[in-house]
Amino acid sequence: MKPPKFEYHAPKNLEDAIAALGRYGGDAKVLAGGQSLMPLLNFRLARPAALVDLNRVASLAYIREQDGQVRFGAMTRQRTIEFSPVVAERLPLLKEATRWVGHLPIRTRGTIGGSIAHADPSAEYPAVLAALEGEVVARGLEGERVIRAAELFQTYLTTNLAPDEILTEVRLPVMPAGAGYALEEFSRRHGDFAIIGIAAVVVRSGQRCTMARLATAGAGPVPVRLRAAEQILEREGLGEAALDAAARKATELVDPDADIHASADYRRHLTGVLTKRALMRAIGVARG
Amino acid sequence: MSVGLPRLVGARVARREDPRLLTGQGSYVDDHRPARMLYAAFLRSPHAHARIRGLDVSAALALPGVAAVLTGEDIARSSKPVRAASKTPNVKTTSYPPLALGKVRHVGEAVAMVAAESRYVAEDAVERIVVDYEPLPVVRDVESALDPASPVLHDEAETNLLVSREFARGDVDAALAGAAVVVRERFRFHRHTPVCMENRGCLGEYATASGALTLRSSAQCPGLVRDVLADLLDIPEHLIRVIANDVGGGFGAKASLYPEEIATCVMARRLGRPVKWIGDRREDLLATTHAWDEIVDAELGLDQDGAIVGLRAEVTVDVGGYSIYPWTAAIEPVQTISFLPGPYRVPTYRGRTRGVATNKAPLGPYRGVGRPPAVFVIEGLMDRAARRLGLDPTEIRLRNFIRDEDFPYKSPSGVVWDRSSFTESLRRAREALDYKAARDEQARARGAGRWVGIGIASYVELTGIGSAIPVSPGMPVSTGTEAATIRFDPAGKVTAVFGVASHGQGLETTLAQIVADEVGVPIEDVRVVHGDTDASPYGTGTYASRSLVLAGGAAILAGRSVREKMLVIAGHLLEADPADVALADGRYAVRGMPDRSVTVRQIARAAYGGAKQLPKGLEPGLEATRFYDPYYGTASNATHAAMIEIDRATLEVKTLRYVVVEDCGRMVNPLIVDGQVHGGVAQGIGAALLEEIVYDDQGQLLSGTLMDYVVPSACEIPTMEVHHVETPSPVALGGFRGMGEGGTIGAPAAIANAVADALAPLQIEIAELPVTPERLFRLIGKARA
Amino acid sequence: MADLVTVRLKVNGVEHEGRCEPRKLLVDFIREDLALTGTHVGCEHGICGACTILFNGEAARSCIMLAVQAEGAELVTVEGLMRDGKLHPLQEAFREHHGLQCGFCTPGMLMTALDFLRTNPAPSEREIREGISAVLCRCTGYQGIVNAVRAAAPVLAAER
Repeated sequence: MKPPKFEYHAPKNLEDAIAALGRYGGDAKVLAGGQSLMPLLNFRLARPAALVDLNRVASLAYIREQDGQVRFGAMTRQRTIEFSPVVAERLPLLKEATRWVGHLPIRTRGTIGGSIAHADPSAEYPAVLAALEGEVVARGLEGERVIRAAELFQTYLTTNLAPDEILTEVRLPVMPAGAGYALEEFSRRHGDFAIIGIAAVVVRSGQRCTMARLATAGAGPVPVRLRAAEQILEREGLGEAALDAAARKATELVDPDADIHASADYRRHLTGVLTKRALMRAIGVARG
Repeated sequence: MSVGLPRLVGARVARREDPRLLTGQGSYVDDHRPARMLYAAFLRSPHAHARIRGLDVSAALALPGVAAVLTGEDIARSSKPVRAASKTPNVKTTSYPPLALGKVRHVGEAVAMVAAESRYVAEDAVERIVVDYEPLPVVRDVESALDPASPVLHDEAETNLLVSREFARGDVDAALAGAAVVVRERFRFHRHTPVCMENRGCLGEYATASGALTLRSSAQCPGLVRDVLADLLDIPEHLIRVIANDVGGGFGAKASLYPEEIATCVMARRLGRPVKWIGDRREDLLATTHAWDEIVDAELGLDQDGAIVGLRAEVTVDVGGYSIYPWTAAIEPVQTISFLPGPYRVPTYRGRTRGVATNKAPLGPYRGVGRPPAVFVIEGLMDRAARRLGLDPTEIRLRNFIRDEDFPYKSPSGVVWDRSSFTESLRRAREALDYKAARDEQARARGAGRWVGIGIASYVELTGIGSAIPVSPGMPVSTGTEAATIRFDPAGKVTAVFGVASHGQGLETTLAQIVADEVGVPIEDVRVVHGDTDASPYGTGTYASRSLVLAGGAAILAGRSVREKMLVIAGHLLEADPADVALADGRYAVRGMPDRSVTVRQIARAAYGGAKQLPKGLEPGLEATRFYDPYYGTASNATHAAMIEIDRATLEVKTLRYVVVEDCGRMVNPLIVDGQVHGGVAQGIGAALLEEIVYDDQGQLLSGTLMDYVVPSACEIPTMEVHHVETPSPVALGGFRGMGEGGTIGAPAAIANAVADALAPLQIEIAELPVTPERLFRLIGKARA
Repeated sequence: MADLVTVRLKVNGVEHEGRCEPRKLLVDFIREDLALTGTHVGCEHGICGACTILFNGEAARSCIMLAVQAEGAELVTVEGLMRDGKLHPLQEAFREHHGLQCGFCTPGMLMTALDFLRTNPAPSEREIREGISAVLCRCTGYQGIVNAVRAAAPVLAAER
């Protein structure tokens, strides 16, 4: 299982990277961490004319707090995120989610930008981006734009990035102080992609819920924001009945696919189960 | 004052293999790169069933760096097709060409072979080969295969029913008709594959001047491969050398002769250059032999006290597209009915089996062969009977076990159990689990609404089989013998050479332990050579839990021969009657006079030191080659006890405790025995909960990556508690019994029974493995409806 | 040929240079161009972990990296673990606790365990299992490996 031939570019700066992409008119692929793209190349399922390797663009790896957001250069390694004090304090949901991303050696190379641009709906980072209502910055030949999570993911492995655009930054709003959070995931084996995963954020005031955010992994072609379930909690609070109602609503909001591991019905069932579990854990962590 | 040598057999000796394997100095096939070597890649069929109307390799040949391309027609000119002919009736032989000839019969079947300057270029070239396929209707499962309207895969067989066999004893129909209780079930054990961490591969070199062929292969049976290659390639046997150095796992997957091995030899001979093929994981999942794909309709009849009166079963095995060499397609179907009666007294029996060809990869041996499904069936029936009769599952087994006074016991299929410890193993398993406390814990958990279950599986397996019984009934090769050569050098160090081929089970250590004890040297002074047909006396390889029994027995015989001569030489050196000399504490001394002794080194030096050092007329040298055939086999048994919990919401099964009490006779190295149990149980748990080979209706493999064929990681496997009973074999020299396969034989049944026990309040039985969360979701949904 | 790239890197403390196609996988470069065959190829899609090496001190899967990406990097492979001809304490622990059988996953398992223990020097059994779940083994059932890592952890922690 060896890759097919491709032309290889390892630009040192972003402008050269964009220019290289542009030259191939959509027939070049960006190589970030490689943890998703390289297997596709080895299977010869991806056959780009060229690879534009971003690993030499030093300016793309950073974590900084700005304007109520934590901003990650796209090439920031998942491993760096896992051990980052800023992330631990400002985005604890992201830190928890990172521990579910494959295994440590995968996180050594995998990047936040790559994971989100790859847009595998079974992956953890797209679900977190959706739950936290984050956004990404993309830059191409035409310039730069900001894309919200809700618009970014189109379907399996597909974003609305143009062929010449590179995802350069991921921005996540700082989580409210005292917010509860959890990522609940079910997979066949530790470290595998989620059959179903639920990212949850809860801000409470006693038994009242001032904010709830729920997003899925593995429940369809893109991460699904379970807005109607969130609203149940925001309306009815955090008692058992409201949690059950939210979990039930979650199962109605998803239209999962089937594969050899799980049917749509079972995925739907898991959505309800994990929504409740995620909420209970999030509530347990929440202060207020 | 001499320092006593510890008795090595029975000791937890650290492995001789480890230093090189731990430091990256192993010698696997892919580690070899002789000069001028070419790399091979195979074009594999994308169709499950199709005629090949034409092949155009010109574009591939035109690619720079490509040395040659071979097709089925090319191979047919240089090699006979492989035919695993069976000596038993009702086993059809199929012609298995190394590269498809005229027709493909499973997705992934090799169609053409490229040799190029790198694997990268070879794969580029493979993509340029154009094949004109005429798709044929796909025979997707055994039901459609037996439908007269379906195409027949092999014209010469005239049917897709490749194997039929029956074993019977007494009138089981009458017994079941009159039984107080009959439990019945249709069991389904889905298709699995061994997944060795090292993919298959081989390196062929042909010396044009001498006509000598050398094949390095990641293989379990170098002797077997050498013998058959001689016939297929028309090269004299003594000019063929097959070497299996370090092999990264076998489990039966590497016990068969493979098309790629033959094609590599043909390519190497054609080009006069070394040719290496290393399979990738995609090829492994597509084309390494699969396993255990069975449907079993079985009925167990018992009297009111829970004593078995009869067992009746119809077994149907999906054997895939070809009958493999040398085991034949009969191996899985026939082993299942041979061992279905298990460790029980079964007065009447009928086991009927069919092996049916379909458009899937061929079935071959995988750790346990036939017995993982068989034990799943009989142990599942025993539990059903226990529930029906209100008996504890351990109690019903104890009532039916073959007892001490019954040995030797002839089972209904004709297998003779020499002597084993079924009752003791089960009793000790109960103790180790603290059975009463475990049941109390289960009751408390149930009260709290948790689904906790305890599952028991007891089994017996025939190991160390000599020539009385072929490892696979009717197979064309004799497997009952192994040999050992023990050779001293003048410095007193020993080289011990065997025809077996270790691939993880530590034979370099255990055989060294036996040899060292026999001749009285420290283990550091013994070097074991194996897996090289040039070095070894006749042998076949390592499979079927035979190596320690057969090679160990040969080692004992060869050791005795050498020791006899050492006593003669020692007597001469000590001016004593050899009958008065004995080996004690690493020295050869006159009995009762420890100061009158000589060292091994002195004896060895004398053996090669010329006539003056030796008694008159004694031939110089100090070595012996002996052959051992135990003739029969010897029983190994175990009881597995699993405690599991099903997460009521996600339906994930977690293993809380896993206990094994096993009896493999006299243990040579308990460290290695434990390791074999651990590894086998892990594969068995994987088989029960996670792993499944899935094809769609068009014969396309859906489980084609390691994401889709899910082998367990360390998080999915519990800590295992392993205990040993040692009943020395009355049949095998040394008292040894084989035991490498037990883990996969017992674990699927133990897990299945534990899951069923957890779901007993819902009256859900487990009849299908793997029992995945998805399957549990369906079963529970149905039960609640 | 115009499409070859040069790769300069340090492996086990020694500087190396090679030339290869950009598509050449790092694991193949290590095994062929550097003739270090201790790192093994198990799956070529990043699941089995047999190819794991230390890349600038951190465990990474070399079957899903390109050799050219190692330009300027420092690698440690299993061949670099021995100290003055003696087994590394982790290797010693694997030997003592029967943490290997066929040996094929072992190099990947060692490098993964080393990196894991650096991030978690006193792990629980649960954590050890999670840490080594990155590498698949078909022979040992993991028990010997868990025992070996547990035994080696305090030895390695004491060294730091």
